[in-house]
Amino acid sequence: MVNLNTIAPKNGRSYYIALGLEGSANKLGVGVIKHPILKEQEIGDHSHDCHAEILSNIRDTYTTPPGEGFLPRDTARHHRNWCVRLIKRALKEAKINDPRLDLDVICFTKGPGMGAPLHSVVIAARTCSLLWDIPLVRVNHCVGHIEMGREITKAVNPVVLYVSGGNTQVIAYSENRYRIFGETLDIAIGNCLDRFARTLKIPNAPSPGYNIEQLANKCKNKDQLVELPYTVKGMDLSMSGILAYIDSLAKDLFKGNKKNKILFDTKTGEQKVTVEDLCYSLQENLFAMLVEITERAMAHVNTSQVLIVGGVGCNVRLQEMMAQMCKDRANGQVHATDERFCIDNGVMIAQAGLLQYRMGDVVKDLKETIVTQKFRTDEVYVSWRE
Amino acid sequence: MSSLTIPQFPAYQFQITLFQNVSNAETIRSKIADLSYAFIDPKLIVSQEQLYSAIYKALIEQKYNRLRTKTLHSECLFCLGPTSNIGDAFKKFGIKDDSRELICLKVINLSDNNDVKEDLDGIIDGERIVFNDDNLSKFYDRELIRKTYKLDKHFVPGNTEELSRALVNAIQLRGL
Amino acid sequence: MSQELVDQVSKYLTPAIPIEPISQGAEAVVFTTTIHPYLPTINEKQKFIIKYRPAKRYRHPIIDRSLTKHRTLSESRLLAKLYQIPGIHVPKLIACDPYNGCIWLEFLGEDLPDAFGFSNLKNFLWMHASENQNPYGDIVRETLFKVGEQIGLLHWNDYCHGDLTSSNIVLVKKDEKWEPYLIDFGLGSTSNLVEDKGVDLYVLERAILSTHSSYAEKYNEWLIEGFSEVYKSNGKQGAKKLNEVMKRFGEVRLRGRKRSMLG
Repeated sequence: MVNLNTIAPKNGRSYYIALGLEGSANKLGVGVIKHPILKEQEIGDHSHDCHAEILSNIRDTYTTPPGEGFLPRDTARHHRNWCVRLIKRALKEAKINDPRLDLDVICFTKGPGMGAPLHSVVIAARTCSLLWDIPLVRVNHCVGHIEMGREITKAVNPVVLYVSGGNTQVIAYSENRYRIFGETLDIAIGNCLDRFARTLKIPNAPSPGYNIEQLANKCKNKDQLVELPYTVKGMDLSMSGILAYIDSLAKDLFKGNKKNKILFDTKTGEQKVTVEDLCYSLQENLFAMLVEITERAMAHVNTSQVLIVGGVGCNVRLQEMMAQMCKDRANGQVHATDERFCIDNGVMIAQAGLLQYRMGDVVKDLKETIVTQKFRTDEVYVSWRE
Repeated sequence: MSSLTIPQFPAYQFQITLFQNVSNAETIRSKIADLSYAFIDPKLIVSQEQLYSAIYKALIEQKYNRLRTKTLHSECLFCLGPTSNIGDAFKKFGIKDDSRELICLKVINLSDNNDVKEDLDGIIDGERIVFNDDNLSKFYDRELIRKTYKLDKHFVPGNTEELSRALVNAIQLRGL
Repeated sequence: MSQELVDQVSKYLTPAIPIEPISQGAEAVVFTTTIHPYLPTINEKQKFIIKYRPAKRYRHPIIDRSLTKHRTLSESRLLAKLYQIPGIHVPKLIACDPYNGCIWLEFLGEDLPDAFGFSNLKNFLWMHASENQNPYGDIVRETLFKVGEQIGLLHWNDYCHGDLTSSNIVLVKKDEKWEPYLIDFGLGSTSNLVEDKGVDLYVLERAILSTHSSYAEKYNEWLIEGFSEVYKSNGKQGAKKLNEVMKRFGEVRLRGRKRSMLG
């Protein structure tokens, strides 16, 4: 039995309000969420349907010039520059006039992520907490994605495909933990796409992955796929090999290396493959691998629902492929959120944090608010589910 | 004579006859081009399963237009072998001039009305016996089979069933 | 399983082969039939497995055809090779049609009592974890030990399964005990790399952890005991190789735990 109303809202209110702060990578997100207190949430498992109301969801992304990735130090500086502005704006939009009275809890990302940026954000969290005398809750970034996905889509117990710049995991819930069934053995898919985008020197705004998707859509040669290594190993997958290979193809293309038979016709020297073709082939291969390991987890756990979360989840082609796979498994459904929630944001931290808070999880000593780069999804005890 | 139909390919019927004490193998061999049978050397056949699995494979290959030999019955002979060398397969699995036993395989296309009823007893000078594993066990040469199918030296089958299984594996995987 | 899929397979097999769908794995659908592809029916109760890898519509046709053929062949080849290794238990390959992604195999296993389902390791462990059962009983320990032995034999002979989960281990009753058979070698390969063996063991460890969490520690211990026995019985060389595999297994484990995860 799970009682989500274990901790009462402050000041005799009939609802909870949480502020969430997220900055584990290059997106700084601040969000405010409201949960009404509902009698039926005292028994059973309702954490996927909190009737949450999103009062504000503000985000600012630190974008670097084409061909460059974002470094921790610069990212941290960006977050420090923007957090006060964003917090003020978020509170204003949420019509929070007096945080001291109106906020129940401040939630921040404990990890995983980049050290310096995480650190900048937690300082803001601690400051606000001390300033307004509001308790703090530490949230796992991945769990944030999962809980937001569940709340938005109302999926009860899906297999979760979490795909972002820093993570690629297939997760299923079992006995109070989000267990990792499959994951990348080396780099994350978002990272793979981002790095290829750098090789291609395409713009990083709005996001490198989005630009690769647009290029892939422009591919005129969809019937001819460039053959890439396909590396699924059981429930896991490996992507560094594909990246290395496609990077070398791209370099040969730019150099005009006519010796490369895949790219250039041996007799006429004519270019057979374009940048768009490479992007298309890369997506088709990578996404096929992701869909395959997701399907494996679904078969093993015996479920027919999938929830895609994380930045790469915004990719329409990935959603399409996943939907087709689910459809072919009778009654299967894919759930996905839009870019407001797929991409890192503060609201998801508030959602997960508020669930934790309602179950009695709260920081008792500031010493507990240390951030950590490495924080496995399955380390979190999911008290708010049965 | 044993009659076999393969469930997935109802258009064909296979008639298999086992002969012993054959005295005119050389004559039969000289006429092979004119006869529409496959003559198989029982020294290399340990079980019905082994032969039937080769027939199945030949039918599958035919279905996807991948016949390597001219006729279905010659394809069955070819499919018995573990390698893709047609000449080699015919040489090893076909009867020899001094063969005293043979297995005769006839393919009947049920939709084909031009069925020439050839008189096997007129062609083969030998004694018909039942085509079953018991009788086959009298004729097969274990060492020859091990060598032909390149069986692993650590693999020591305890009975015909175990040996047959390894051969079926080789047959199914040939060429793939 | 969608009716469309069943119809697709029925069409390929023709009405002469009645099929009963039994499961839909990630890449193949499995049916049983009472008709042998090329042997006359011996007894009415005989059963065979048909494993069919349907075309996956979600992926590009070029990737799909290549994968289907490759996986069908790979699995068939492995079953053939492993059969000849003394001590290893795998299902019998009856027929293989790589052009259509279809394999016929012998039927192994049975239904467990009290509706616990088919006798794979997963259901067996769930059965023993249920009320009035002893999850740490002798039969569980012995069976897991034997499973470890099968994997040990596999690795000792330089093969990797590639997809070791408790659903891919079928238990066959023999004299009141259970004999484990490894199935589903679609992702299998020959490999003498400690990395591949380490990953194989890690995948199984995680699979046990995910689906049998409460008893996973002991279960994984028993699995490794059986595994180690095979290597140890091969003298000094065996002990040395065991060390190498275990060491790499440990590293793969840590890699997972400490993998740097960025937002």
